[in-house]
Amino acid sequence: MLLIHCPYCDDTLPELEFAYAGEAHIDRPADPSKLTDEEWRDFLFIRTNVKGVHAERWRHINGCGRFFNALRDTVSDRFLTTYKAGEARPDMQTLEAAE
Amino acid sequence: MTEYRVEGRGRVNRAKPVKFTFDDKTYEGFEGDTVASALLANGEHLMGRSFKYHRPRGVVTASSEEPNALIGTTRGGGKGRFEPNTRATMQEIYAGLKTESQNKWPSLKFDLGAINDRLYMLFSAGFYYKTFMWPRSFWDSVYEPFIRKAAGLGKAPTEVDPDHYASRYLHCDVLVVGSGPSGIAAALTAGRAGSKVVLVDENSEMGGTLLSEPSVSIDGQPAWEWLEGAMAELDRMPNVTRMTRTTAMGYYHQNMIGLVQKLTDHMADVPEGAPRERMWRVRAKEVVLAQGAIERPMVFDGNDTPGIMMAGAAQTFLNRFGVLVGKKPVVLTSHDSAWYSAFDMADAGAKVVAIVDTRETVSQALLDEANARGIKTYLSYTATGTKGRLRVSALRVNPVRNGKVGSAHLLFCDAVLVCGGWTPSLHLFSHTKGSLHWDEEAKVYLPGHKTEDVHIAGAGRGLWGIAAALEDGTKAGTDAVKSLGGNAGVATYEVADDRTGTGITQKELPTDRSAGKAKAFVDFQNDVTAKDIRLAVREGMKSIEHVKRYTTNGMATDQGKLSNMNGLTIASDALGKEAPQVGLTTFRPPYTPTTFGAFAGYHKGKHFEVTRKTPIDSWAEEHGAEFEPVALWRRAWYFPMAGEDMHKAVARECKATRESLGIFDASTLGKIEVSGPDATEFMNRMYTNPWTKLGVGRARYGLLLGEEGFIRDDGVIGRMRDDLFHVTTTTGGAARVLNMMEDYLQTEWPDLKVWLTSTTEEWATIALNGPNARKVLAPFVEGIDISDEAFPHMSVRECTVAGFPSRLFRISFTGELGFEINVPARHGKELWEKLWAEGQKYDICPYGTETMHVLRAEKGFIIVGQDTDGTVTPQDAGIGWAIGKKKPDFVGKRSLDRPDIVAPNRKQLVGLLTEDPKTVLTEGAQIVADPKQAKPMKMIGHVTSSYWSESLGRSIAMAVVEGGFDRMDDTLHIPTENGDAVPAKVTSTVFYDPAGDRLKVE
Amino acid sequence: MNAPVTSFDTVSVTVLPSVARFNLRIAPADLSVASAAFGLTLPTKIGQGAQSGDRAAYCIGPDEWLLHAAEADQQAIVSAFAAVRADTAHSLVVISDREMTIGIDGPDALALLSVGCPIDLSRLPIGGAKRTVFDYAQVMLIRDAEDAFRVEVWRSYFPHVHGLLEIAARELTVGL
Ligand SMILES: [Zn+2]
Repeated sequence: MLLIHCPYCDDTLPELEFAYAGEAHIDRPADPSKLTDEEWRDFLFIRTNVKGVHAERWRHINGCGRFFNALRDTVSDRFLTTYKAGEARPDMQTLEAAE
Repeated sequence: MTEYRVEGRGRVNRAKPVKFTFDDKTYEGFEGDTVASALLANGEHLMGRSFKYHRPRGVVTASSEEPNALIGTTRGGGKGRFEPNTRATMQEIYAGLKTESQNKWPSLKFDLGAINDRLYMLFSAGFYYKTFMWPRSFWDSVYEPFIRKAAGLGKAPTEVDPDHYASRYLHCDVLVVGSGPSGIAAALTAGRAGSKVVLVDENSEMGGTLLSEPSVSIDGQPAWEWLEGAMAELDRMPNVTRMTRTTAMGYYHQNMIGLVQKLTDHMADVPEGAPRERMWRVRAKEVVLAQGAIERPMVFDGNDTPGIMMAGAAQTFLNRFGVLVGKKPVVLTSHDSAWYSAFDMADAGAKVVAIVDTRETVSQALLDEANARGIKTYLSYTATGTKGRLRVSALRVNPVRNGKVGSAHLLFCDAVLVCGGWTPSLHLFSHTKGSLHWDEEAKVYLPGHKTEDVHIAGAGRGLWGIAAALEDGTKAGTDAVKSLGGNAGVATYEVADDRTGTGITQKELPTDRSAGKAKAFVDFQNDVTAKDIRLAVREGMKSIEHVKRYTTNGMATDQGKLSNMNGLTIASDALGKEAPQVGLTTFRPPYTPTTFGAFAGYHKGKHFEVTRKTPIDSWAEEHGAEFEPVALWRRAWYFPMAGEDMHKAVARECKATRESLGIFDASTLGKIEVSGPDATEFMNRMYTNPWTKLGVGRARYGLLLGEEGFIRDDGVIGRMRDDLFHVTTTTGGAARVLNMMEDYLQTEWPDLKVWLTSTTEEWATIALNGPNARKVLAPFVEGIDISDEAFPHMSVRECTVAGFPSRLFRISFTGELGFEINVPARHGKELWEKLWAEGQKYDICPYGTETMHVLRAEKGFIIVGQDTDGTVTPQDAGIGWAIGKKKPDFVGKRSLDRPDIVAPNRKQLVGLLTEDPKTVLTEGAQIVADPKQAKPMKMIGHVTSSYWSESLGRSIAMAVVEGGFDRMDDTLHIPTENGDAVPAKVTSTVFYDPAGDRLKVE
Repeated sequence: MNAPVTSFDTVSVTVLPSVARFNLRIAPADLSVASAAFGLTLPTKIGQGAQSGDRAAYCIGPDEWLLHAAEADQQAIVSAFAAVRADTAHSLVVISDREMTIGIDGPDALALLSVGCPIDLSRLPIGGAKRTVFDYAQVMLIRDAEDAFRVEVWRSYFPHVHGLLEIAARELTVGL
């Protein structure tokens, strides 16, 4: 069971309080009707499925209830950082420098 | 005193004799004995039969890695308390304990299954793959029954286990696994520094190797005195917890360790309410693994004969339990440690026949000590065979000179104590995916790169001796405290009479006989021999993972704790490669076999899963309802009267509701309060329907899609205020819908001023349906007029009902005049009872979910998740009318133009009427256009809902069918399991009252 | 409701009487309006609580508060918030009947809760509250003192949670 840091509660808590919510930074288009079928398909279904650092969404569903973002290494299953919804994906170099 | 018990030795309680049985014979031991030590004290080595060949087997270890002495135990109380494959070396004896040997028939000493041993060639490496290949016709009648009979050791319990299992979470600074000298030193260090420490050991008492090495002295005290002092100090510290009989069975992410604590398996009288085992889920900031090392057997012909055991085990049986495992032992070793076992045995009165060492030289000090005790020594010798079948009577040994095996002679004995070196115990470390690195000099794997905050101390990282263990444990403790940001004092220990030593490891021992005929076992539990491993290599297995699976070496319940390194050494020799190039198999949790009970914990019986009940559930139970599970809820399914089956009860409930009045508990429906100035905008974006023009006090059917255009949920939504909607969802969809709404609100539209609150359980919901619904309700309603004009279909108001504050809906899921009354949950049952009493005038009938399903199906109302399956669009379901065509956007709107969604021939929801009105189709049945076509037939859809309709006096069904809307009045066919096909006509889904006249009751 | 108590040597499990309970959602910037309407300064940090008389407020999310009050005051509180709704957007939802409350008191309170709570309970501040899980149920955990807690659990999950607590309390009495 992982420990996850909720950026809203500013607390590190057991995974049982959280729910995974898919890849992060996929914004719903402001006007979906303007998208081609291919663009809409990509929005709906195409995901990076990375081996390595993955930006993904979690919800502190059994806590403060907030959706937030995380960078997790899919190889080691380790969280590198978590950040609030709406914030830009942290730069890996900045992150490593901070460690 | 039994014959093999040694006066003045051991830690068992001589004042407390204990009687137990093994194979129905009564034995006596002492409090503190294990089954193994007590049987050995009675001279019994034979404790089981091997898995494949049914060879007689004796106990070989004194600890949890025991591969042979696996027994069946029956705990106090008997029934349901049988456990197979209990390790006799770990099971403590208590008065009344019943144990039995396994894998034998008719008796342990005379076992007919041992014929397998004579059919050895049949069972060599890969025998499953080869033997059971051909002929195919043998599979069902011969091979499978054989495999089933042979599979598994011991017999599975047949009764439900009545015991209670517990679990807890635990958070600590430092978890120390293993309470030998290094573990104790680590715990003392961290404990003294004030850390919250948990120290665990799988044995019944702490001390580890110190329990087997009483001759060592620490800080001027005999080992056991020092141990007592250390335990007392740990117990005095409030920040330290000690747990015995507790196995660290798995090491998971971020220092979560699973511990299984055996609480009552050693007790004759188990207190009422006591759990048998407890799973501790520990989250430790730092972990110290001090699990020691496991002694390695030697591989030679007949090395599994009862009476042959690990030298270290013999030392433990002597010093911890006061038992001599033999009076005339031979020691066979390649490591100094076994020499000390020999000396201890001799000093306790055994006549040690000889020490046979495969090495050419050993230290003069050891030779001097052996000479002083009159023990013969043979250096550079090999062992090539044994005498005795049920108990070893002689060891055949030969000199080895310049790589040549000389002529043999027999050493007559009653036990052979072997030591082929020591393997650091790194199983838990392996669980963390920590890397292991090969130490060429010691020929062992040692911990390498770490992935967790873990420290490995003592013999677990290849150190040897008590002094080294204490020093290393102290260092691990200090490092752990330092990682926590603290500072620990570094204690030093003065150790005298430490028995340090070295040794070598090797492949199977050289022999003067045909190696191909040797039964030289590598894995005792799975009956794998050195020859099997070499055969596997010859047949092309190149990596240890392949060798493992082909031979099953290391795949038994001990996960190869004794066999893996010997198997690897032999495989690398056969391949002509170095061990690290051949690789190492992966250890996985659990460290030792773990009961299902420990994993299940409290989740059995009525706590197996949450059973949600409504406030009205108890009324239904009192009135004889049958229940069905819906999501986590249990819902009243139907209310049978005396002599009624479900069919009859449902027919009666349907009739009563349509003709007069039915009452239904709808409390499980999800309810969400959508509140805020932007509530309308939010609803417009979430649901397909338009909400802007829905007036306060009005309600509307709402349809929710996923972004990909498929139906996710539906429900009636009432507008309570301009800025407040009372949203209902399906029972199973409540949490999902709220989560989806929160997702859009928080991450896509954070600018909207709207908030969502679940009120599913705030309200109890009672549905009244039928022509008399208003008549029964009206006398209770205060504050509003519920006449048809003032309160038309699809209305909602706040009012009081029977004096309770209420949200009253006029809606119908049955096609009859209907009301849904929401009252605060605590009043639900009382309101139900009042309506029930008043309703007697109208022959009110309580109905359950089955009748609800029939009534709605008669009206063609869909149930999301039954008539839809996550691939059905609103158009497919025939409810395109629910889409707000003028809305610029809503969740899923863009997808309704996707090529796949607008493609022809999609499966569409239609009604089906069987040609024979009495035939009720099976839900889920496949549909074909032509039943005469060749198999496999083209399936064009399936039945989603099917019932007997009492109102129509015939069966009705709904189905999704390719191009269904264009097949109206076509006859399709539904093949049945008995080979024929039921013809049915495609119709509209609305079977009953298509004009909706019945809603308009004045 | 009467308060059935299951008392064991070192911990008691009590079904507590109902209270007026509200879920309040409001932008943190508008919090003073809510504090005025409720008559208690609401805490601003997730996990914190504030008490005065029979009113209590716990911050359980960035814009979410759990409010407790005497049952008799329920309608007055609803009206007080309704009066400011036009000027200050918020959501106040009565959830008095949604949950049941279990009191857990005694020296073994932490040990008892640890059968179902995966969080490190010792870190929960006294006077604070946290939404978390107990076994399969989402709960609100309120800490009133070193060894006194309340567990608020949705009504239909109550039998499951209460049943587990009773089984585990018996274990603590046996001492195993
Ligand atoms: Zn949070």
